[in-house]
Amino acid sequence: MTPNQPATSVPHPIGDSVTRVDAKEKVIGAALFSDDLQFGPGLLYARIKRSPHPHALIKRIDTSKAQALPGVKAVVTGESFPGMTGLYLQDRHIFCRDRVRYVGDPVAGVAAVSEAIAEQAVELIEVEYEPLQGVFDPEFGATSEAPVLHPDLGKYKVQNFIFPKPGTNISNHFRIRKGDVDAAWSQCAAIVEHSYRIPHIQHVPIEPHVAVAKVDENGKVTLWGTSQSPFAQRNLIAIALGISQSDVEVIAPYVGGGFGCKAGVSMEALAVAVASKTKGKPVKLRLTREEEFYTAFVRQGMVAHFKMGCDAQGRLLAMQNRFYWDGGAYTEYGVNITRASGYSSSGPYDVPNVKTDSFCVYTNHPVGGPMRGFGMPEMHTGLEQCIDELALAIEMDPVQFRRINCVQGGDTLVTGMTMHPTGLSECLDKAAKAIDWGRKVAPSAPNKRRGKGIAAMWKAPAMSPNASSSAKVALNEDGTVTVSVGGQDIGQGSFTIAAQMAAAALGVPIDWVRVATPLDTNYSPYEWQTVASRLTWSMGNAVAAAARDARQQILELVAKAWNEKIEDLDIVDGNVISYKSEETISLKNIAIYGLPLPNDQGWIGGPVLGRGNFMPTYVTGLNAETGQGPRAVVHYTTGVQAVEVEVDLDTGKVQVLRGVGAFDVGKAINPEMVKAQMEGGFVQGMSTALFESLQLKEGVLQNPSFVDYRIATTSDVPMDIQSIIVEVPQDDGPWGARGVGEHSMVPTVAAIANAIYDAIGIRVGAPPYSAEKVYLAMVDAGLVKEMEG
Amino acid sequence: MTINAHPELPDFDYVRPATLMEASQFLAQHAGEARPLCGGTDIFVRMRDGLWHDRYLVDVKKLDGTANLACDAAGLTIGAGVSMNRVIAEAAVRQNYPLLAEACCSVASHQLRTRATIVGNLCNASPAGDTIGACLVLGGRLRVHGTDGFREIPLEGFFTGPGKNTLRPGDIVTAIHFAPLPAHSAGTYIKLGRNTWSDLSIVGLTAFGYPDETAASGYRFKIAMASVAPTPLLAHKAQDFLAENPPNLQSFDQAARLASAACSPIDDVRSSARYRKLMVYQLTKKALQQTWEKLTR
Repeated sequence: MTPNQPATSVPHPIGDSVTRVDAKEKVIGAALFSDDLQFGPGLLYARIKRSPHPHALIKRIDTSKAQALPGVKAVVTGESFPGMTGLYLQDRHIFCRDRVRYVGDPVAGVAAVSEAIAEQAVELIEVEYEPLQGVFDPEFGATSEAPVLHPDLGKYKVQNFIFPKPGTNISNHFRIRKGDVDAAWSQCAAIVEHSYRIPHIQHVPIEPHVAVAKVDENGKVTLWGTSQSPFAQRNLIAIALGISQSDVEVIAPYVGGGFGCKAGVSMEALAVAVASKTKGKPVKLRLTREEEFYTAFVRQGMVAHFKMGCDAQGRLLAMQNRFYWDGGAYTEYGVNITRASGYSSSGPYDVPNVKTDSFCVYTNHPVGGPMRGFGMPEMHTGLEQCIDELALAIEMDPVQFRRINCVQGGDTLVTGMTMHPTGLSECLDKAAKAIDWGRKVAPSAPNKRRGKGIAAMWKAPAMSPNASSSAKVALNEDGTVTVSVGGQDIGQGSFTIAAQMAAAALGVPIDWVRVATPLDTNYSPYEWQTVASRLTWSMGNAVAAAARDARQQILELVAKAWNEKIEDLDIVDGNVISYKSEETISLKNIAIYGLPLPNDQGWIGGPVLGRGNFMPTYVTGLNAETGQGPRAVVHYTTGVQAVEVEVDLDTGKVQVLRGVGAFDVGKAINPEMVKAQMEGGFVQGMSTALFESLQLKEGVLQNPSFVDYRIATTSDVPMDIQSIIVEVPQDDGPWGARGVGEHSMVPTVAAIANAIYDAIGIRVGAPPYSAEKVYLAMVDAGLVKEMEG
Repeated sequence: MTINAHPELPDFDYVRPATLMEASQFLAQHAGEARPLCGGTDIFVRMRDGLWHDRYLVDVKKLDGTANLACDAAGLTIGAGVSMNRVIAEAAVRQNYPLLAEACCSVASHQLRTRATIVGNLCNASPAGDTIGACLVLGGRLRVHGTDGFREIPLEGFFTGPGKNTLRPGDIVTAIHFAPLPAHSAGTYIKLGRNTWSDLSIVGLTAFGYPDETAASGYRFKIAMASVAPTPLLAHKAQDFLAENPPNLQSFDQAARLASAACSPIDDVRSSARYRKLMVYQLTKKALQQTWEKLTR
């Protein structure tokens, strides 16, 4: 059996919507999250002194009063921690040393016997600042007039596919030069040009960040925390502290939502740093919701300029894009978002001439980091509105326009890579049909206008080219199976997928399989991170390999015992069977104890432990000047969303009446969970389209709580969300699967914007499309009359 | 400190006096450091946020009559300790004072309304208070217990600024009282938030009307506006205009213009002043039309 068989002959439970392995535990409240863990009376509590300035030099820090406060056990500053950290670009210290770069930047930390005392001590720390001019706009930040926020940029360690420009605020400049854009414009029958500004938003997981760190006398670090990346945290913390990865243990219980903000390292390093001064005593740091808003990763803001043109038949001929990413104070992670948006900058279209410049720019805004979609929702928001505009410019139906241009297997992509087979056309047709594209429906009231919109998308896993996975499959006395993985389940269901794949590859019932939790870097096999929608695909390949390894060991044992050939044996429903002798034996009792030889002449076999790993070995570098190379990414997941909306002319309120999503997932390992991802992404995308924005004024956040950072609730969400699974198998995916966790929020804003345009004939501009923004746009366009007098 | 984040509540003493007089005296003796506690849905949030620093919270929920909800020939009396969900659940309220139930339903979420009280909402004196408009247009009167005993004050005039009212140290609002409503009256509350549930209003618009022979138009209307001025506001000019002019789309439009002109909103994180003014116009028209439909049904 190979994991790449065609979709028609997959073994159960692949393709079955089995119940999640963690469902009961979570529903009855038994599942343990980081804040639930008990550490006894010795536990200390940390609070952090943070910068009130968006940009300033630190002139002096006086911690003496804080240190003298009874109950305070340690006060730490950046002085003790010269090491730098960062995933793709090491541009952060754990605590600021000479300069603060955003409101909330950590300056000092306190450990005390209670949170209240730690809080008091933080107030007693005196910091003298010299405020500096800030950078609050990425386009300005990229110019030579802007103050330089990281004068040492040229000295930072950086991965070889990131291109910083020392002496400026540009921490990555990614270029695409495909074909000849300048020559193509003259052949275009229509050209559209638009600029879009995308606001910062946040992940808002229901569970804020929590970290508990302990450093023992030998310097060994143990970290418990809310993590979607235990191994990345182990690695980055070891590097920052200058210790061995083997001396850092990260234990990661269940996570109450991640969406990217619990990837890489952020506040965990603070807890570790503080704990290093309270040897032997665990130190707990939990962010309040306000700190979460101020200091956890945000989705970067963006200013995007698009120019695109097509011929009279609707063939896209050229695209020219300039993206200015508002990376915030540190861009250790954001630099790769800049790159990802560059190598995908044509959108899911076959475009012969493309010129893209994607800049990651330091600003004095909160730290940009990974968020569901990794640059793709931001980019597609503008790009897919321009596609609609271009279709309208040549009087072509937007669905037809996309049908003509959408990417197909065999196309030469924007990076020169050849596209693998993809079901984007099928997604387009199915989504259009489901939304009754082309059929106008009367609005529900005279003061309302109704419209439909559609948008397509693509996204590749954005990661280091060799990001890898491993897995272990161990059998127990009774034949049950324990699967060990290092990839965290952040609610998307990856543990269930691991169990399904192990069951299928091994040949045991799904209820014989357990997944070893919590993740612990000392015992769980290595996994890069739960990001990039890569677990089903990458970790899945490793789990399937480990299960096949275990299977092989069992079959070898039984073949020897029965004196048969392995090819004649199979494992079905937990029994080894022979197609030749028609013998059968249960896995119970043989997977640990082995089998006796005849006449009590000894034993063969022993505990069965399968191992498997997966690393993509075929992703190549891209030319720094042109962005061209044989294979930029492992693969692309494609899809389409369509919506129907109603706009209230009296208030400007946009109501999404129904939504449709169709995505090519290669193979749905668990169709109900795939649909849950499609629905969840649609809701989150809708929420960002209508409500969400971090309102930053001169670097200061104006809405750091749920009072004024609004997200969609159940009553804002349409009752009718349809999710359509398309399956064109992926050649390097287990049973043909590829990821879908992020993709379902990529086209949503654009689809809703296109529907609003269809309803009222106005492009409202920057999201969110709040009632106020839509109403005032209607007033300004003369669609509704402003009250006189 | 820019990042106003406190992980927990500050220390305070919870005080539960045996009598109203004891409560009033305690509050008067600790003026500036003690506060009456009803549902606590605002108090605890403000204390946790570091905005309020009271040493004592004086629970008034079980004091004489504060737990009572009475609806009879004398009108409706809602004690200070009566939760909004209890108000909503009371059939007599839904029957005779539907506007009040409607306003309560728009407050926060069901969970919070099991604690939140109308009297607390009034004393909090937020310009955005969702139940204040209904209490104003229905002519609510507050029963106040101070160190000198009971007195009754009309709600109109009670609000003096954002979070400010005319209460003196030692005063406890024990209940709000409404006289029986005029026959054939009807009202409407329209709350415009950023999203559907549990938001603070960008604009809250309450309209109430009833037939009145003493009015030239034959009808009297009351209009209250939330989140568009430092205090909850009655649109007096619009009300007067409607008493003089026959109720129809044209006069509702004119009244809406007058209402909009009477408010003085600010730009804030929730909305611009411009949008608020425009929405007062739109929502006043809508609320009057809906109220008129109910009156003539």
